[in-house]
Formats: sequence, C-alpha cells, structure tokens
Amino acid sequence: MWKVKIGSRRESCCDGVSRRHALRLGATGLFGSLALPRLLELQAKAAMPSGAKAKSCIFLFLEGGPPHQDMWDPKPDAPEEIRGPFRPINTNVPGTIITDQLPLCAKIADKYTILRSHSHRDNGHSTGYHYVMTGRRANFADGDNPIPNNDYFPAVGSIVARELGSRSTLPPYINLPHPMTAGGPGFYGAEYAPFVIESDPTQPDFEVKDLQPIAGLPESRIAMRRKLLSGIDELERNVQGRAKTMSTYYEKAQSLITSPDAKKAFDIHAEPEAVRERYGYTQLGQCTLLARRLIEGGCRFVGVDAPGWDVHFNCFPSLQTDLIPYADRAFSALVTDLEQRGLLDETLVIMMGEMGRTPRVNAQAGRDHWSMAQTVIFAGGGTKPGQVIGATDAQAAAPTTEPVGVNDVLRTIHTLLGINPDRQYYGPLGRPVPLVDGGKIIRELV
Amino acid sequence: MFRASRSSSSVGLATILGVVVLVGSSRGELVVSPASVLLDRPESSHQLLVSVAQPNQLPIDVSRSVSYQISQPTVAVIDSNGLVHPLSDGQTEIIVRHNKEEVRVPLEVRRLAKPEPVSFHNEIVPLLTKARCNAGGCHGKAEGQNGFRLSIFGFDAAADFAAIVKEGRGRRVSVTAPEQSLLLKKGAAIIPHGGGRKIEPDSYQYARLKRWIAEGAGFDDLASQSHRIVAIEVEPLQQSLLAGGAQQLRVTAVDNNGFRRCVTAEADYESNAPSIAEVDQRGLIEASDIPGEAAILVRYLGHVAVSRITLPRPEVEFQRPPETNFIDRLVWDKLQRLGIEPSELADDATFLRRVYLDTIGTLPTPVEVREFLADNSRDKRTLVIDRLLDRDEYVDYWTMRWLDVLRADQLQISPQGTVAMQRWLRRQFRENQPFDEFARELLTVQGSTTAEGPASFYKVLDKPDEASRAISQLLLGVRIECAQCHHHPSERWSQADYVGLAGFFTGIKLKKLPNGNEAVISLGGSDLPHPRTGETVAARPLGDSPAEFSGTGDRRIALADWMTASANPFFAKAIANRIWAHYFGRGLVEPIDDMRDTNPASNEPLMAALAQHMRSVDFDLKAFTRTLLQSRVYQLSARANDSNADDFQNFSHAAYKTLPAEVLLDAISDCTGVPEKFNGWPEGYRAVQVWDNRMPSYFFRIFGRPVRASVCECERSGEPSIAQSLHLLNSPEIMAKVQHRHGKARQLANSDLTCDAIIDELYLCMLSRLPSSDERSLMLQAFDGIDADRLAAVEDVQWALLNSKEFIFNH
Repeated sequence: MWKVKIGSRRESCCDGVSRRHALRLGATGLFGSLALPRLLELQAKAAMPSGAKAKSCIFLFLEGGPPHQDMWDPKPDAPEEIRGPFRPINTNVPGTIITDQLPLCAKIADKYTILRSHSHRDNGHSTGYHYVMTGRRANFADGDNPIPNNDYFPAVGSIVARELGSRSTLPPYINLPHPMTAGGPGFYGAEYAPFVIESDPTQPDFEVKDLQPIAGLPESRIAMRRKLLSGIDELERNVQGRAKTMSTYYEKAQSLITSPDAKKAFDIHAEPEAVRERYGYTQLGQCTLLARRLIEGGCRFVGVDAPGWDVHFNCFPSLQTDLIPYADRAFSALVTDLEQRGLLDETLVIMMGEMGRTPRVNAQAGRDHWSMAQTVIFAGGGTKPGQVIGATDAQAAAPTTEPVGVNDVLRTIHTLLGINPDRQYYGPLGRPVPLVDGGKIIRELV
Repeated sequence: MFRASRSSSSVGLATILGVVVLVGSSRGELVVSPASVLLDRPESSHQLLVSVAQPNQLPIDVSRSVSYQISQPTVAVIDSNGLVHPLSDGQTEIIVRHNKEEVRVPLEVRRLAKPEPVSFHNEIVPLLTKARCNAGGCHGKAEGQNGFRLSIFGFDAAADFAAIVKEGRGRRVSVTAPEQSLLLKKGAAIIPHGGGRKIEPDSYQYARLKRWIAEGAGFDDLASQSHRIVAIEVEPLQQSLLAGGAQQLRVTAVDNNGFRRCVTAEADYESNAPSIAEVDQRGLIEASDIPGEAAILVRYLGHVAVSRITLPRPEVEFQRPPETNFIDRLVWDKLQRLGIEPSELADDATFLRRVYLDTIGTLPTPVEVREFLADNSRDKRTLVIDRLLDRDEYVDYWTMRWLDVLRADQLQISPQGTVAMQRWLRRQFRENQPFDEFARELLTVQGSTTAEGPASFYKVLDKPDEASRAISQLLLGVRIECAQCHHHPSERWSQADYVGLAGFFTGIKLKKLPNGNEAVISLGGSDLPHPRTGETVAARPLGDSPAEFSGTGDRRIALADWMTASANPFFAKAIANRIWAHYFGRGLVEPIDDMRDTNPASNEPLMAALAQHMRSVDFDLKAFTRTLLQSRVYQLSARANDSNADDFQNFSHAAYKTLPAEVLLDAISDCTGVPEKFNGWPEGYRAVQVWDNRMPSYFFRIFGRPVRASVCECERSGEPSIAQSLHLLNSPEIMAKVQHRHGKARQLANSDLTCDAIIDELYLCMLSRLPSSDERSLMLQAFDGIDADRLAAVEDVQWALLNSKEFIFNH
C-alpha cells in the first residue's frame, strides 16, 4: 500500500493535497485500499464550514411527479380545469395557503418551507429522476433502464456518504423500501452505493433481509463460524482487486449483523403503536418512521422512494384517498417527531418528486408530466421555516420568480450538510467531476 | 538533426544534470532538433528539443537545462524551456550550449510586418479550445453561458464565427478598435468575466485574437483554404523516463501543401494516467515515481496524436519466462519494458478451477479435480482445454452471455422471442459457427421473431439509428452515440458518420403476421438527412465511402460484406478484445466496446496480433479461445509479487474475476448438493440455462444479473456490495442449502469418512483443491470438543468455505 504523504513536492490544490497524490491514492483506492476514503473523510471533516447544522438528511421522493397545484400551490381563482376539485385552506402561517388535502401539514406550516418555483426541463421519469438525484441530464432516453440508472454521475446520497462517512456501524446511505431509480453511486463505485432495505415496514413480519440471526444456530456455533472465517481471512490476506473490496464489505456486513446500533435502528416494532399510527400504516409512513430511526442510528442520508404519483388518468380520487393523505401524514409526523426529539435542527428533510404536473386537467381527468413547475418542501437542518419561496403564474405553469433548478437544490443540500459542493473527483475518463454542476444556494432558505 | 562532437566529460555532465548521475558516466551526445527554424507570424513559436543520447541508456531530455543564446538578439527570443518567439525579420542562429558542447540551429524570421491573415479555422478555434472558452462547463454548453454560446470544443466553426462576430449586436468584436472588443476584454478579464482570466494580456493568444480582429475579423472558407491542416505529429512518439524525470514534447501541424508549423504552445495535452505521468499545457511531461505507462494525448484542430511514456520499475532484473505463443511474447515484451515481473505459473488446481469457471461457468467436480491432479502427462492442461470447449456447458454459458448483449429481455421481445434467440445462439455455439457468419446472420436476419433466429434483435432496435448504434458498439467496438448530437473534434466520428451508418437500417420493418406474431422484413431503404444541415447523407460504413446498393434489396447485406471483409479495421479487433476481456478479466481496450484513438489499448502490438489471429483462424471462436487459454499469460497465478502488485492492465498476474450471478448460484447449488428451484421451471435447470431474465430473484438482483437493456457488457455489474456479503453470510436461503436434508453436508456427516477426509472433500468440491496443513488444522477445530456434533461441524466448515473470497471469485 502507498504511504500517504500530505503536502507534496509539486503543485497543491487548495485543500493541501496535491492532485497527484489524490490521483495516486485514487489509483490504489480503486482497488480496495482504504487509504483514500479515510483520507477524504478527514479532509471532508476539516473542510466543514463551522456554521453547518445538518448532520443527516431524509429525502422523501414522491416518484412519478406529485401535482404541485393539488397540494402546495393551489390556484383557487383559476378555471376549474386548472384548479381541480381541491379547495384552498389556511395554514398556521398567516397568508400561506395550501390545499385541503394537506390538513395535518397545514397545522405545522411554521415548521417547514414551501419552495414553489422549482423548475427544470426534463419531462421524463427515469431521466428526470436522474437529473434530480445527480444534477446532470441523463444521456439515455426515458424508459426502462437498469436500476440504478446513473451509471456515471453519483447520486446525492452517494456523495453525502463519501463526504461525511457514517457516524456508526450503520451504512451512511440507505434506500427504502427498494433502490431509488437514480440512487446509485455512479463512478464512485460500490463502496458508496446505498444499502437497500427491501422489505415493507408496514408488514408485521418486517425485518431487514439477511440481518436476523439464523434460527436455531446456537451461540457456540456462531462463535465457531466466526473463528473459521477469520482464520480463512487471515490466510487470504493477499487477495486483490474486487476480492479485496469484498473483504471490506464482509467486515461491514459482519459488524452490521452483530451491531446493537443496527439492530436497534432497524427494529421498527420497538416504536410505540401511537407513533406508528401517527406516521400512518402506509409504506410511505412506515418508511419515513424507519428513516428517522436510521438517522438516529447514525445514517447520513436516507432516501425513501414512494412510487405511484404518475397520475395521468382519473387522478383526483386516488390523490384524495391514497396519495396526498399518506404524504400529509408521514411528512407532518416526521417533522413534529424530529422536533420533539430535538433532532430537527440537525436533520434536513426534503420532499419532492422528479417533476410537477400539467396545469390543465387532461381528457382522462388526470394530469400529465410538467417539469416546468414543481413544489419542493424543506424542513430542518438549518433551513429557515415558515416561508413560501417563489411563486408560479396564475395557472401554476411556470415560476414568476427566478426559477430554482435542480443544481440549486443540490448545492443547498450539500452546503447545509457542511459539504463543499465544488469539490471535484476525477471520473474514469480523467474528467474532473464536481459534486454539484453549478447552481446557486437558495438564499432565502438558509 | 545536429549532433555535437563527443567532447564532454562525464564529470561535467553530472554537475549540470543531477539526474545524469543515475545513468552512469558514459559519454553523452547532444542531440538538438529541428535542423532549422522558420517563423513567419508574430504569434508563432517553435519548440526546440534537446537531449543527451547515451549508448545503452535512456536518452535524457535536457531542453530545460542547457543554455540558449540567439546570435542576433533583435531577431528572436528563446525562453529557458527552449521555446523560440520571433521579434523582427532577419536570419540568425540559435546557439545551444551544454557543458562544452555547442550546437547551432539556423533561424529565420520573415514577413512579421505583413504576415498571412489569421485563419479563424486554424488559429482562432484551437485557441478558444485551449483556453477552455468552449468547454462544456462554459460557453460550450448547449445553452451557452450568459448569452454567449460556442459549439462544444469548436466543432462548428461557422456557428462560432457567427456567435463571436454577428451575435450580441456585434459588440463582441470591434474592428476599428480591436482592444475594445468584448471578446478580448472579457477573455483577458480586463472587465469582469464570470469565468475569470482565460487569456493573459501578454500572451500569443491575446496578440492573435487582436490581430484577427484588426484584420477585419474574417472567416476563411474551409474549401478555399490554402493551408488546411491535415495531420499533427508529436515527438517523441515513445519515451522511457526515470522516476521524477521530465520530457518536453513538440507538436507539429502539417498542412495540405506539406508545410510544417510548430504548434506545441497551441496544442492541448492530456495524460490518461496522471498518477504515472502528468503533462502541462506547454507539453512538458513530468514523471512520478510510480512505474507504469501513460499515454499523453495531444489534440489540435480535431487531430489526435499520442506519445507513450514508460516508467520502468527500477532495478528489476527481468527474467523472461518461457513462451507458449505470441501472446506470451508480446506480454513479456511489455512487462520487460516496464520492469514488471510476471507472477509464477498457477498450480494445477488453480488452473483447473479457473479454466472451468471461465470456459463453461461450472466448477470441476471432486472427481475431475483428483483425476487432473493425478495425471502426470505434460500436455494435460492443453487436453483439458480441448475437452471443456466441447462440453454442453460451454454452449449454455456463451448462449447466456450473448442473450445479455443481444438484449433478449423477455418483456420486450416476448418469451417466445427469447426462446427463439436462445435456440439460435445455442446452435451457433454448439456448431462453433465462425463469428463472421454469426455476425452476418445477426445483421441480415429476416423472418418471424418467434422462429429460431435473432430477428428479435431488431424488435428492440426498431429505429435505424438505434440499430446502427447498437451494431456499431456490439460488433465494431465503436460507440458513435456522441456523434448523434455533435462532432467531438478529437474523435473521429461526425454527425454525418452517424446518420451514414443509420442509413443501412432504414429499410427494416416489423410486419404483423396473420397468427399474431411479427416478422422482420427488409425493403430497400433510404438515405437520412444530416441532423444539422439537413442535407441527405448517403449510407456509408464507418470511415469508408458511400455504399453501393445495386444488386441488393437489403442494405444490411452491403454492411455485412464490409464488416466481415478481411481488411475491416474494427470487426476482428472488437471480437478479439471481447473474448480476451472475458478470460483475462479486462480488455486490452477498456471499456471493451469503446475503441477510439483517444482510448488506446494497454498493449497495442498484442491487440493487433490478436485481431490478426482472429482473422487467421477464420473467426473460429474455439480455436481463438484455445490460443488464449494455452498461453502462459492466462495460466499465471493470481498471487502478485513485489513488482506487479499494482499492475492491473498489463496482465502480469491473473485477475480476481467476479463470478456472474448465475454461475455463482450454480456453484453454490452444486457444492451444497441442493439444486435451485426456479419458479415455474421444471427441476434440473441450471441458473445459466434460464432464459427468463425477469424471473424475480433476490440473489440475481444483488449479484448483478443484467436486465438486458443495452448491448453493453458493462450492464452486468461485477461490483461487490454489503448486500452480497450479508446474503452469503446470513441469509436463510444459503442456510437452507447448507442444512438441507439431502444436502452435501449431511451426506458427508452421515458417511463413514474421517474428519480429515470430509475436510478434503469439502475443499475439493468448493475450492477445487486440497487444504494446506494450516487450513486443515483450522477446520479440524470445528470437529473438536467432547460434545462436537459432526453434522454441525460439516455445515460450519462448508459455510465458512462458501464465504471465502477464494470461493466467491474466480482467480
């Protein structure tokens, strides 16, 4: 293994480590050396601006495109084919109006901020997802792709995992209850891939796959197995390449299996019934609750994927019964819960989808894709609550204030977490890839 | 080239050049190039290269340590790096002094007062590229930057000219007051510029932009250009450096009249391995202390040249191992140059396991291992290779791999289509169909998508450009999708090439059959318009002239003829590299289907020889594979030595290869003695044989089975993950196999074998070898103790072996 010398004979980057050293470390790190991630972790911590409050992030992704005008950006004065059937209601913040489908969120509007002027130009699901999660336009056509579909650019969660590392034995980046379509690590590699919990926490027999002790295996045999395996490990010290990477995953997996932190974090059954009810016995609700437990356990970035929002046909009944109330319940419960536990300041919560939906209700009584306008909800993590940022026109079709783009949101997330968004890593083709591709911090929010 | 008299003493040399001490004290010879220098424009420059050549030693670049003098200093000026700039017309000499040696190079400067007008194409566009004005993050991005938009890397000079001269209400250039031009004021950050200072006010770039504007900011029509650059040359083409050494490059542009001009200061440089050698924008390479090889890519005006830099590992006495065939010779050549020693030959057991898993995707049985180990014949490795290539599992395995890249996704092409494709592939590999015939059949297929054959391929690729993109990547190893939107100037393929190739696929239609199935039919076809200009582009293969379609109703036949012709530069190379990558864990060109000038092979002579070999065996894949497997390089150990531990691209030791999900599952099933039950499939099918790529399976998903959404082999992820480790360590599924009542563990526990014999059997079955004494004593601990339960012990040993990297990987 190469020795890591900081401060080198040739040109240095501003972080005090020469590019050559970084690259050299990269070359070995790629093949499993732990030197690079550790070094970068140290750097990342050193580079942390002192003001950053957020330690972790819960990212609720309403996959398919939630209708902003039927939730957060009502247009009561617009014609019916635009405003839809839902009525506006007042929130506990004077002057802030949302739709009557969000009664629980209406009561706590002072605890989060509504950004109405989010806008971008990718109207596809898988491509839009890619854009939102990576800040880069997809280079593939919208449609079925392997998951994750971001094979080059890392998702925001992988970046956070790389920059901040974990705070415990829990993996730093987790996806629930299935992998996020564009949640992959891209060229950062499997080390920064999300740990995916692929079980439904609403089920009474919910457990994280492959984490429970094997039934009927006595402690003496577990000990024996550990002994045999560590004996083999000792003999296999010299493995290389991916096999070496696999060794580090074995270590992580072992500590996950044996860790009381992990066991505790994953044990959603330990939550009082009242709390589980408050989040709602829905997949989104229970995943959101589990996300809170994972954050408490030391995870940095939990991405919850909540599908079903692609409401092209007869959308209002399903919005009214299955979609918006679940999100209303889960989001309001999470924010209230975090606050009560004193965690809201250090936990950034974001709720968004890949796009908004068309202003005009279509002939099938649904709404279609509309990336020109979307509402994004922020809470905690040092954001200023109780605001409405930006506005859209009379049809909720386009921002009338300066549009906020995907990279503005990503830059803001990283900054709040104390990550330098301009940091670069070299991709496999030798091109420098900054964490965030441009963008501006959303000033009103921080 | 001028050579100095051999006069210098070694002592003198050493005092000037600390580095020379390293190469001993033999006499050096001062070599200066070029023979003479001509400069005819105010902003031009010429790079001198000065080296000391010594017998049996690496020549050393001394361009920055000699002293330079211009006899008549009013004519020109030379900096300490050896770069000459003109000052006024005249003739003089450059005197290069190195210790007591002296070389004089004639220098002429002329027409400075009345130079040829600046060419927008040849001189302004590369300048904007080198200053990164037109990079993707700046004005080159699709929407431009703050209203100023340039074509990415300057591929569209006419559009760039319009943007600079005509758009922005003409305020970007001011012919009457060039210095007031926004282009200069912004670029040099004289007024605030979001991108900062890109052009120094005292640089040649500034001077040239200013002169171009002063001359009227004209646009030279490419067709009427008297000096069109047709090539660039880089010197040196190949150079070995010592650790910490440096080398200056010189780049020369050659125009259509044969006129040569030094563009070292103007070209763009990039190292493909900056950890080994970095290059700066003057063309100065600095070597690190990591041995290896770097390709320095030089770009100028869409032309690419490569200088290869080698840093040999010092103090390695290279022992050339024996050679079985040309592969060994060419790999040893490379390793010798790098000073990397190859690993030992793998032992018989390791070789056997590797060749089984690679060739047939199956572990050898304990009986096969014992027989092989007991066999004393000298050619037993060769014989086992032959036997494996004739086994049914070879057909299964290669059929599966091609189902992946032919995109046999049953959701897209229906289960019937997938089976039709699988049958066709099985026939190809069973009959060892030559690959050119295979490709021709695939390319020109017609008929029902549910009859045995590859017709479904065109069901997925139902647009001409999608088909051409996929075919190009799959069969030619060329990715042309970038050229859909723009011509990357340093790459070869233009938008015209893109639509030209798509023009072969315009006649394909999917026709509904009366029975509800579909058939691929081919009806002539038509040429496609250029995406930017709208002009019709005649169908043409990559890098060739338009195709001739007379006498054929199916345009694809013309493409197949071109592709499989012996002179085709892509086809044999692409399949040779693909098969090499399968057996060696990495392509000579990587990614395997991304061959281009700017992505050279890690061993070009070997790549060329393999392509030639593929042709000489008439595309017989088994014969080709046999050559690979018989080479000593394939049979090297995965255990690295001191000199090759960091080498992953020169094949100095075997790689640890990830087992495909299906192969791993079959291996687990085989060695636990518990076949996997696939939902809806009769018993007895192996994972490799299952064509249904959508069958839900947690195991397949976490171990990276592809969804067959692209022709790229990269879709099959070989990346390890925590989920994989957890699954093997702790899943009920794996536990069920280990503890199965008809499983191997119980069978062994219930047998009358001794503990030692059981351990042997488990090692043979899972790792295809016998345990070492250390391993045996480790495993015997499981059987120790008064209340030791024999079944539990066998299960625990099996579980532990199943979680060893030696089991999970092919090595």
